[in-house]
Parts: sequence; C-alpha cells; structure tokens
Amino acid sequence: MTDIEKNQVFEKYNKGTHVYGKIAAGITLLLLLSAPFVMGLHLGAMPSLPAFGKAFIAVGIIWFASSIVEYLVYTPMLGAGGTYLAFITGNLINMKIPCAVNARDTVGTKTGTPENEIISTLSIATSSLVTIVVLALGVILLIPLQPILQSPVLQPAFDNVVPALFGAMAYKYFRGNMKIAAIPLVTMSILFIFVPSLISSTSFMIMPAGAMAIGIAYFFYKKGKAN
Amino acid sequence: MDLSLLNSPVMYIFFMIRAYRAGKAIGMDVSKMRRTIISSATFTVLPSVGILLGVIALSGSLGTPLPWLRLSVIGALHYETQVAEGAAEAIGLSGLHLSEMTPEAFTTIALIMSFCIMWGMILSIILTKTYLKKLKKKPKNIENEESANVEGEVKAEPKKNGGFGNLAMTAMFVGLVSAYIGSYVGGFVSTGGLFTFKGSWLSIAVATIAALVMALFIWLSEKKKATWVESFSIAGSMIVAMGLSILLNTIVG
Repeated sequence: MTDIEKNQVFEKYNKGTHVYGKIAAGITLLLLLSAPFVMGLHLGAMPSLPAFGKAFIAVGIIWFASSIVEYLVYTPMLGAGGTYLAFITGNLINMKIPCAVNARDTVGTKTGTPENEIISTLSIATSSLVTIVVLALGVILLIPLQPILQSPVLQPAFDNVVPALFGAMAYKYFRGNMKIAAIPLVTMSILFIFVPSLISSTSFMIMPAGAMAIGIAYFFYKKGKAN
Repeated sequence: MDLSLLNSPVMYIFFMIRAYRAGKAIGMDVSKMRRTIISSATFTVLPSVGILLGVIALSGSLGTPLPWLRLSVIGALHYETQVAEGAAEAIGLSGLHLSEMTPEAFTTIALIMSFCIMWGMILSIILTKTYLKKLKKKPKNIENEESANVEGEVKAEPKKNGGFGNLAMTAMFVGLVSAYIGSYVGGFVSTGGLFTFKGSWLSIAVATIAALVMALFIWLSEKKKATWVESFSIAGSMIVAMGLSILLNTIVG
C-alpha cells in the first residue's frame, strides 16, 4: 500500500470517527441531562433550580474551567476517536490518559500519527469496556463484597490509588527528562507548601506546571538543535 | 431510561472494531494492536476497582444507581464526591448525609453532578475536528525533519526520535505529574499550618514506592528483556504501593 492510499483510507476512517463520535457524544449529553428530570418525574420531585444555581456558582464554575483545560490538554494526547470516547466515559486523569499513554509507549507510536490515533482509540475503548464490566460485576457483587472492600484495614490502599498512579508515572516520565522535570517539580512543591489551600485545586495547577515544562522542553529542544 | 444502556459495551465495541479494521487497512502490525488491547485491559482493572470503591463510598448517601451512572459517564471520583458534597451544602443539607436526603435534594444533586461535568463533552462535539486539524498543522514543519519512520517502530523517547510535538506532550505529562507530586509534598509540609509537617506523608511514601517498583519493572523489561512485564508495570507498581500503604498505615497508627 502506497502512502497516498494509506492516507486516503485513514482520512475516510477519521471522517467517520468525527461523525460517529459527535452522534455518540450528543446522545449521551442529552441522556445525561435528562436523567435527573426523569428521576424527578419518577420520584415526584423535580430538581430545585435556585439551589442548582447556587451550587453551580459554588462548585460548578471551577469544573467549567477545569473541563476546558482538560479538553485542551488531553485532546492532542488522545486523538479524535480517543477524545470522543474519553469525554463520554470520563476518569481521564486517573485512567484514560495514563492508559492511552501507556499503550502508546508500549507499542511505540508517535503523537499525531495515524498509528497513534488507532492505538489510542483501541486503548480507550478497551479501557471503557473493562471499566463497565468491572463496575457491573462489582455492583452485582456489591452486597457480599461490601464488608471486605469497606473494611478499615483496606481503606489506606484505596485512599492512595491516585498517589500510587502518579508515583509510577513520575518514574516513567521523569526518567531521562529530569532536566525538564526539575523546575516544575520544585516550583509546584514550593507553591503547595506556601499556599496549601491550592491543594484542593491541583487540577488547576496542571496548566501552569505543564506550560512551564513545555517551555523548558522547548528551550532544550532549541539548544539541542543549535548544537 | 437508563444511561448505562447508551454507555453500553456496543458503542465501545463499535469504535474498537472500526479502529482495528482501519489499523489493518493502513498496514499496522496486528500484534501491536492486540498488545494495546491486552495492556489497556490489564491496566484498567485496578483503577476500575478504585472507581467501584467510589461507587460504594457514594452509595451510602446517594444509593447505588446514581453513583454507578455518574462514574460511568464522564465521571471521576474526586469530581463526583466534591460536587455532590457542594451540591448538598447548597441545598441546605449539612453534607452528604442519607438521614437528611429528600427526593428534591436528590434530583438537584443529580442535576448538578450531570451539568457541571458536561463541558468536556460539549467541547469535544464542537471543537475536536478543528482543534486536531490546527494541531496537526503546527508540529508538522518541525517533525518532518525527523519523522522518516512513521510506521510505529519509533521508540517512545521523543527526545531522541521525535520532533517537538512529541516532546511537548511528554513535557505536558511531566508538568502534570509534577503538580500532583508537588501537592503531596505541600500537603505533608503545610497541612494544618505552614511548615508544621503535620500532614500525611502516606501519599509521598506511596508515590515513592510506586516509583521504585516501576523502576524495577523497567529494569526487568529493558535489562532482562522481559518485555511482557510492560503490560503490567503500572498496575503492578500501583498494587504493590497500595498494598504497602496498608502496612505503612498500621505503622503510623
């Protein structure tokens, strides 16, 4: 297959991905927003709109900004198919992104290539399927499992699932990139030490930390090219 | 109408089959695609159990169906917990307590949880095509110089093999991890007052253990040529670190 033919096949696939992705996301969005009202009909109590407004101002705006940041940052990592699926299924930072990046690294594809687009979609679709199966099985087994899973002995393990993930990812990404990682790591640590209230908005700090790391990477990239 | 029906396996299988076929059509190595599926499946099991625990944690106050749905459709445990708590407070409850829950409070919480998370989905509908097109144009000039081999045989070290687009993504991830690791350091040093060192050091310890185990996996994979461990490296590092956190927690008391 020539490169031109390959491109044609991929472009056709990509076009379809956008169409199917938009349809899937659109229907999901509609159902997502109608579910609380359907529950309201069933329960005979519609959501309170004044309370909704109040809560949106208190907590919603933060997530609005965070969603925009997440979208802008993660879309290039995920590609088209991965983006539609990941923004339908969620759990991006703790699962989908590391999963897609891990898959990309395992098979060795490069960001922005057709191969990466395929790998990313396969990875996120698989991940979503496995999550659905685990959740469904878990919910079915919920009653007998509950005492074991909620036993205080196991709680520290599950409370620390996110640090465990970032520890593993830290080694993987800092290794060989310490020149890039040193300044953002030190800066973020100092910032959180002096402004501990920011800890609850760590997702907001991803952007400046990422921008800093990209800036440093660009500096070394230019320097490397100059040499 | 059950959201989980739409978020059903059919949609993912459909996207998977399309991607697999397209991969084959453009001449990708089938074994690589299979490895992707296996490694993604094994990678996902452990965090999925974490999500399941989130469902269990929230089921105490919201019942099982709502957390189950919310954590299956653009949910994330840290988001759901925070928003549900905030919503409950806005309605006038003292927090997410079952004893205070009313049908109106419940549906309002459900609406807020659904509404506040939808932006990523909206953006993906209206922006993805344009955004990816623009991104594709940008790095091309730089990458063309080095990307003679686009067939996926490139190693994942962008510094050596890729252009700046690839390196920028790695850097973004470095920044992201830095923010979280920094938050653990800050939490330990300054929770409860600047430089009081009264915060929990468990997060730092767990992250360190996971990093060390990851180092071992990478060593096995690279030096001992046990490449199969790659599929289990992250999940394995996490499970060891999480397991040891139980032990550490006992020591801390």
